[in-house]
Amino acid sequence: MRRYDLTIAARAGLLAVTLVAMGCSKKDNTATVDTGSSAETAAVAKVTDLKVGRSIGADKRLTDETDAFRPTDVIYAVVETKGADPNAALLARWTFQDGQVVDESSRSIAAAGEDVTEFHISKPGGWPKGKYKVEVLLNGQPVESEDFEVK
Amino acid sequence: MGVLDKLFGNGGKSAKGKADFSDVRSGSSSTAPASQSVGSQRTYTVVAGDSLSKIAKREYGDASKWQRIFEANRDKIQNPDLIHPGQVLNLPQG
Repeated sequence: MRRYDLTIAARAGLLAVTLVAMGCSKKDNTATVDTGSSAETAAVAKVTDLKVGRSIGADKRLTDETDAFRPTDVIYAVVETKGADPNAALLARWTFQDGQVVDESSRSIAAAGEDVTEFHISKPGGWPKGKYKVEVLLNGQPVESEDFEVK
Repeated sequence: MGVLDKLFGNGGKSAKGKADFSDVRSGSSSTAPASQSVGSQRTYTVVAGDSLSKIAKREYGDASKWQRIFEANRDKIQNPDLIHPGQVLNLPQG
């Protein structure tokens, strides 16, 4: 009986090792595909960061990062991109908690290296209190999003 | 959600409790130069409460430029007084 148990344990171990090996193999394949893709399309920019805040400096970066705003604030979304793309289309889509689109604006940039792009929205009548989201799309593909709140 | 909300749906202004974002202003700037590609085209997605003149005022700072937007979107807009939330409009160079 003890010998039988050991055989089962050995088989189970072998199966586990095989599955792990298959998993690793699949991951390796994915990595290979990714590497090939980026090598093939060298002129590609990607979004590396998205932050929201209340003010920006001359370098377009946030000087007052926050996710809690007042109704009278101008709200900035700062998008950092890296890479080269002579025609990268960035789009910022701002939505309210009920899914309503607050604003959507786009900007086509000639990205080269590290760039910073800011989108901002304001509302003279004051922002309704609640939860909001800004989603950034690069060339039509959603890449980053950030939640914030107006209190 | 109240009865009025259900009745008016996305009507925005009439629905009790529905937030009105028709006066939102937006802008953008970048450390990267604007794309020089001939094919580049700015777009704008219509939200509830928008009109062509409001969009022109927001995008160009001049409401009277609504006709430029109309002309650039003749294939999508039959009546310049009637645009719909969700419509994606091409914005010609100001």
